[in-house]
Amino acid sequence: MTERIVEELRPFFDPKAVAIIGATNKKGKVGNVIFENFKRNKERGIFKGNIYPVNPKLDEIDGYKVYHSVRELPDDTDLAVISIPAPFVPATMRDIAEKGIKAVIIITGGFGELGEEGKKLECEILEIARANGIRIIGPNCVGVYVPDTGVDTVFLPEEKMDRPKSGPIAFVSQSGAFAAAMLDWAAMAGLGIGKMVSYGNKIDVDDADLMDYFLHDDKINVVTFYIEGVKDGRKFMESAKRITRVKPVVALKSGRTEYGARAASSHTGSLAGSDKIYDAVFKQTGIIRAEDFEHMFDLAKAFAALKDKLPKGDRIGIITDGGGAGVMASDAVAKFGLRMAELSEETIKFLREHFPPHAVPGNPTDVVGDTDAERYRIALEGFTRDPNVDAIVVIVLFQVPLLEEEKVIEILADYQRKSDKPIVAVAMGGRKTSRYARLLEEKGVPVYPTPERGVRAMAGLVRYAEHLGKLKGE
Amino acid sequence: MSREEALKVIESVLAQGRTVLVEYEAKQVLKAYGLPVPNEKLAKTLDEALKYAEEIGYPVALKLMSPQILHKSDAKVVMLNIKNPEELKQKWKEILENARKYRPDAEILGVLVAPMLRPGREVIIGVVEDPQFGHAIMFGLGGIFVEVLKDVTFRIIPITERDARKMITEIKGYPILAGVRGEEPADIDAIVDMLLKVSKLVEDLENYIKEMDLNPVFVYEKGKGAVVVDARMILKAPQRKEEEISSEYRERCA
Repeated sequence: MTERIVEELRPFFDPKAVAIIGATNKKGKVGNVIFENFKRNKERGIFKGNIYPVNPKLDEIDGYKVYHSVRELPDDTDLAVISIPAPFVPATMRDIAEKGIKAVIIITGGFGELGEEGKKLECEILEIARANGIRIIGPNCVGVYVPDTGVDTVFLPEEKMDRPKSGPIAFVSQSGAFAAAMLDWAAMAGLGIGKMVSYGNKIDVDDADLMDYFLHDDKINVVTFYIEGVKDGRKFMESAKRITRVKPVVALKSGRTEYGARAASSHTGSLAGSDKIYDAVFKQTGIIRAEDFEHMFDLAKAFAALKDKLPKGDRIGIITDGGGAGVMASDAVAKFGLRMAELSEETIKFLREHFPPHAVPGNPTDVVGDTDAERYRIALEGFTRDPNVDAIVVIVLFQVPLLEEEKVIEILADYQRKSDKPIVAVAMGGRKTSRYARLLEEKGVPVYPTPERGVRAMAGLVRYAEHLGKLKGE
Repeated sequence: MSREEALKVIESVLAQGRTVLVEYEAKQVLKAYGLPVPNEKLAKTLDEALKYAEEIGYPVALKLMSPQILHKSDAKVVMLNIKNPEELKQKWKEILENARKYRPDAEILGVLVAPMLRPGREVIIGVVEDPQFGHAIMFGLGGIFVEVLKDVTFRIIPITERDARKMITEIKGYPILAGVRGEEPADIDAIVDMLLKVSKLVEDLENYIKEMDLNPVFVYEKGKGAVVVDARMILKAPQRKEEEISSEYRERCA
């Protein structure tokens, strides 16, 4: 079952040849942007497949032969991207079925989201798809983005929207606008997105299918979802349970509407709301629920770096060069249901021996404002050796005068590599700090702009470890 | 556990054209699945009531069972702490009068004769059906915790023992069950057992059950168990399985 899904969805992410139905030479039109995306990626040597524009009124676009109908397409076509108006889609779907193309992305809107007429169109399309073994992403979506293979159906042009580099994060979004904005933002934040799917009205391919696919996708090690609603709840839960045993799933669920004004005849009915039910679903399936989009990507970043290095307990050690930031981190530890580690006597003794008298061993350990990189090394040495510490949050205020920035980055990266305890860093500051933060992230240490967000991301790692039953004492 | 016994009660209620079970019927269904209910008996006549009270042992409580009277305390058809046969005779008269005053057309199925229960820590266990995910089970502390603070948690049915334990420990009021200020811990294992049994019951009877409340449940000290004090169960008209799981696609294309 799940292996079949890999085969079925493969053309969406790595097609041999893509037909762009509704391709045009009019700049800014959806059919033009999508064509340009593929063409550009082909020129860059990223997209390795063939590109077949389809438009009955054109013979050629930018040197590419244009096919007048789906029937004329070469036989190697295995993905169709449709951007023609909704009423023409069913007829095109019939041609696609006849041609034997099994994967279709329908970008076009004007379907179920508009009401009954649109829903009828969706049904018509779906019937054709079901009868011919065709899988559909959409309609009313931005489709798929895969930096490794050059698939990019996002109809927002590169001049207006940056594309993120590749990475181990899969990002699935019901909303196309949210998906596009997040890709743009991820590019700026240096976050690597391996695959993005925006499925819009999701008449066919849904969250469960994608979870089944990503379960088998070795390039993906964390899956993030922006979900408005789930249609088949039980199927969703089955797929979620399967994938979370292997890789983490983070979900941001919007639409906190209750069941409406339904008259509850039981006490329980009056207390249940869809949000409480989703909470239950996420807890039972091991999906980590994100509070907002920042939280979603904070978690994604943590899992991308540390999925195979989960904490073995919830006792957090904090190292800081600023007292206030240490207090903020300690508060966050309690707030997110974690515990402050109690350092062993040996660790305290070790730190005291190697620290100058005014540095403060303990938890938090304050290496204070005149710190150099070496003091961080000593603290990390002590913390990583201490059996009472499960995970470490290191706050680095890069602004302090004597701190050798590159050296401290090396030290953190070194301990991330050699210790089995996960380390996340917090770097508060401005432009200069964010440059160092980027360097640190490239070396495998996720960095957060506030102590609260750093600790909250760590709490996500702990929750996932707990779900896997990997915490001590379980 | 007996699905047949539970079904017998449910089918008979449905046959009478009702979808709401009175307390006695709800408890029969719960009992069929091994949930702890008090040793209660439904009396149709005063003589029966007197006989049952003797068997149960005074003091007893009387609760009038009528499908039209679901808010029993509003209708004053619950009489507590009845100490002897004379008092019972008096209360029997009162309870029937009160019922008639409250709903002259009320159909009276009988009067439940119940032992007076030792109070315990109050919890609520409930079931609701979600349109996307199906039945969910709820757990929380009873009384003000559920009324005001809505300190409850849900899981989709079926649940595992691990789910059940997590439900109990994750509510904010958990320390009250664990025991505060020298109080003995409550019988957590008994709650786990009840949650699992309710889950099983609903899993078996998912085509019948719409919602239910076990409210309150008295939980006693560790090792001393728990008991369902009051229960309500709402049925849905049974449907064929295929209709149940009709997909969005089928709904849309119908």
